Amino acid sequence: MSERGRGRGAPRGSRGGGRGGRGGSTFAQDTKPKKESILDLSKYMDKKIRVKFNGGREVIGSLKGHDPLLNLVLDDTEEFLRDPDDNRLLNDTRSLGLIVCRGPAVILISPVEGTEEIDNPFVQQE
Amino acid sequence: MLPLSLLNTAQGHPMLVELKNGETFNGHLVNCDNWMNLTLREVIQTSPEGDRFWRLPECYIRGNTIKYLRVPDEIMEMVKEDSIRQRQAASGGNRGRKWFSWWKYWSRRKQRWKL
Repeated sequence: MSERGRGRGAPRGSRGGGRGGRGGSTFAQDTKPKKESILDLSKYMDKKIRVKFNGGREVIGSLKGHDPLLNLVLDDTEEFLRDPDDNRLLNDTRSLGLIVCRGPAVILISPVEGTEEIDNPFVQQE
Repeated sequence: MLPLSLLNTAQGHPMLVELKNGETFNGHLVNCDNWMNLTLREVIQTSPEGDRFWRLPECYIRGNTIKYLRVPDEIMEMVKEDSIRQRQAASGGNRGRKWFSWWKYWSRRKQRWKL
């Protein structure tokens, strides 16, 4: 009985504190900055992007969709194959088609357009 | 000096990022966040073996794959200046905001209680 009474009392007590809480929440609202992603993926929509995954897999596909967790939808995806002996990346690919990439597994995103393999650029500086 | 405040100060400057898998990225830092996720511009990527190189216009790197970053020495000085400036701004700004919330609270209370 007394246990139940206390249980009923608790929410009333918290409601009483609600006014102070509301004041606090407006305060928190002005102090908390609005956070948004540092990468704007919408500029890559329908463009080819290269995505590297945790564990070493690497794909190229055209971006069809994304969310703030960096889950991606890629179409016409090609995965780069690796040498079975030393795990080095080869230029051969296998086709994956339409895929959903899990955000937490994505470690690198870069546009394919403008990307090129180049000779060692650090030689002349040494 | 906090690692992430140094990184914030280094925005716009060239840096080298090495990932856990040994790949390195040389480029100008465009943006970074509290998870150390980065966006770089004008990037040169080097393979883990150091024998292949790519030029990327830009790239996004997930913070938790980073092994370390090399930043220019000048950043050290800039971090000190930045932190002083921020502390001044924060203390000034906070005082104003605190005063404002106090004022708002009292004016509402006055209204409600018809004081």
